[in-house]
Amino acid sequence: MTGATEPLFEGLKILDFTRALAGPTCTRMFAEMGADVIKVESAPNGDLTRQMSKIRNDRSLYYIQQNLGKQSLCVNLRDPRGIALMKELVPHMDVVVENFKPGRMASMGLDYEALKELKEDIILCSISAMGQTGPLATKPGYDYIAQAYTGVTSMIGDPNDAPSIPLLGIGDVATGVHGAFAVLAAIYHRERTGRGQHLDVALADVYYHCHEVNVHQYTGSNGEIKPTRGGRHMSYVCPAGVFRANGGDIMIMAFLHHFKDLCAAMDRPELVTKEGWTTDQERLARLDEVVALVETWLQTFPSHWDAIAKMEEHGVPVAPILTVEDTITHPHLLHRGTIRTINDRLAGEFGIPGMPIKFSEFPEDLPLEADTLGQHNAHIITEVLNHSEEELAQLRADGILNEGEF
Amino acid sequence: MANPSKTLFSGLRILDLTRAVAGPTCTRMFSELGADVIKVEAFPEGDLTRQVSKIRNERSLYFVQQNLGKKSLCVDLRNPKGLQLVKDLVPLVDVVVQNFKPGVMASMGMAYDDLKELKQDIILCSISSLGQTGSLAEKPGYDMIAQSYAGVTSMVGDPDDAPCFPQLAIGDVSTGVMGAFSVLAALYHRDRTGEGQHLDVSILDTYYHSHEASVHQYSGSNGKIEPNRTGRHMNYLAPAGVFRANGGYITIMSFLHHWKDLCAAMDRPELAEDERLGNDEGRLENLDEVIELIESWLQNFPDRDTAMDKLDEFGVPAGPVLTIAETVAHPHLRERGTVRTIDDRIAGKFEIPGLPPKFSKFPDLPEFDAPTLGEHNEEIITNILGRSDDELAELRNAGILKEKNI
Repeated sequence: MTGATEPLFEGLKILDFTRALAGPTCTRMFAEMGADVIKVESAPNGDLTRQMSKIRNDRSLYYIQQNLGKQSLCVNLRDPRGIALMKELVPHMDVVVENFKPGRMASMGLDYEALKELKEDIILCSISAMGQTGPLATKPGYDYIAQAYTGVTSMIGDPNDAPSIPLLGIGDVATGVHGAFAVLAAIYHRERTGRGQHLDVALADVYYHCHEVNVHQYTGSNGEIKPTRGGRHMSYVCPAGVFRANGGDIMIMAFLHHFKDLCAAMDRPELVTKEGWTTDQERLARLDEVVALVETWLQTFPSHWDAIAKMEEHGVPVAPILTVEDTITHPHLLHRGTIRTINDRLAGEFGIPGMPIKFSEFPEDLPLEADTLGQHNAHIITEVLNHSEEELAQLRADGILNEGEF
Repeated sequence: MANPSKTLFSGLRILDLTRAVAGPTCTRMFSELGADVIKVEAFPEGDLTRQVSKIRNERSLYFVQQNLGKKSLCVDLRNPKGLQLVKDLVPLVDVVVQNFKPGVMASMGMAYDDLKELKQDIILCSISSLGQTGSLAEKPGYDMIAQSYAGVTSMVGDPDDAPCFPQLAIGDVSTGVMGAFSVLAALYHRDRTGEGQHLDVSILDTYYHSHEASVHQYSGSNGKIEPNRTGRHMNYLAPAGVFRANGGYITIMSFLHHWKDLCAAMDRPELAEDERLGNDEGRLENLDEVIELIESWLQNFPDRDTAMDKLDEFGVPAGPVLTIAETVAHPHLRERGTVRTIDDRIAGKFEIPGLPPKFSKFPDLPEFDAPTLGEHNEEIITNILGRSDDELAELRNAGILKEKNI
């Protein structure tokens, strides 16, 4: 794909009050494509992820991953002078993104109505666990809390045991991307009408959005279908799930028209038309038998790689279940930049997940770094806000601005 | 929130060549916000989800959920005249979205360069399982296949057993939203430069993007940390996971500074300063003991919800692991429209997940219907393409257009 001359979001200005994961993922989508993102970090220590996943030289790899290309402004938001600086910044911005607990922005005098007074067409994107409205709005929230409240956790794991949780921030990251979508939709609207707006994006809503069949199956059957977790096999198509083989587990999706391909691979073509085996519903009714058949056949291969090759030869949708370690060196992931190598001035070289979208009119990844705490304090106070050097020194001396080499 | 007279995306026109979940989720974000989405369905049965989750009156609730407000054009793409109709639509749209297997668009003469010939500033969004490029690109793909290759499945379930997976389409839906974000980013770029572009969005890249810590922990520790699934408890914070209570499960996130709140709720304030259990590292080392402590305390409550009340009282981040049935009835989810009621003309009333972002400048969602197969054939052929009624009749007679009340 050819590279354009300037980054896609060049000139777009975002004031970023986010911490942890969902919010920073939203602003990351913009920062990595050239927007001007000012990340406001609470003095004295900044984003809490600066304390997590510190693996090298006291620098948090977690923080780096989510905050490439952002400018750090570390300011005391409990001091009225800190808040005043924020209010001065708002008129310079297109968008404000925040993921405080609902109510916190209002308590700082920075709710949507207040921001609108400062800039008529401002776009405010509020990201939270449970949403800005509703009985659960002010609960302390994390990814897994919203996951529990949306029936998602109940759909993961062995049906005869307690549910499991996925050990990655799927909900947080998806929520950040929903937020980024919402911000661009609002910009699209602003450019056509001149009006800003307030966006309310919640982990709970995003997780719920991912139920492709569970919700309508339950309500559409008037409660007869009660969706629950099915361990390692899908509940409404079959066979589809994780199968054990020599040396590793395999994901096999051989439902509907793919079943005939699996039968061909197993050299059991008669099963395609065998009574009681022809539809997904019939196969679901005898799931244990289907699993035993497939797993017994898989045992005839010395390793799961041979079994995968055999199934691929017959066009069966199939995949090895890679560990995180396996993904780091996988040629396909390396080729696409799915895994991206970062060279941080403090933490050195390591891999992070790359930008998921490939744009034909956007240059290769920008050579971005993550800021140290308050690295852009001086620039923002003197260049953007035009305060004098004396005022900057005063703000530092009064502990309203903070800086740290981490 | 105020209602403007127009919908957010009114006037935006999308040619939708998607099926199943990831692609339709992308175009759903636009159709539900008022864009004109022309969904081209393969001849003669249409989107394969019309065959799945048929619960009432032979109407697929799955299809209805993902295709509200879209216009259905059911046309034979294997017939050159049918294909020509679709090509004639290209100059009349802003965006084309497709999720065929990589290579299929090119084989129909609709690769990005072909589309560009038809409309210079066209935006093409290609959604796939494993991407348009790289060694795995041509493989047949589904959500769980990409999930396996992304190292995500390996992070779900009991570490001593085969992994399991979430029984919902988290990757598909997130990828659809990633696609919707990329389309808006490309429109933003088009508004400024007059250029269109090609977007390559995959489930693999989207899933990989969700590894908030595993990738950098592995690579940043030079392989010393090998991330792996741990069942129902997190591996870098504690306590954080799913706990057994009477009659159900509760997700409790009382790591770092939240631990003292849990200690207060349990009336064990001394544990907040305990030498072994006073910090996350110590609690991770003694995780079994911490789980035992919390779960035996939870046994003091007659049921899950009374235990939740106590946790809420002390501000502990916690949530009940709700079943799908419980989510549908939950007041918070209903109030926010997280759960949305649909009244389909064929299938009747049922619930689906609502659109996650809430826009202050966008009216409450209109009462959209999902189209029946080929419902808008006539409107598209005569009104949009300006063909005569005679030509329409001929296309129907020749079997190039098809309609069916499903």
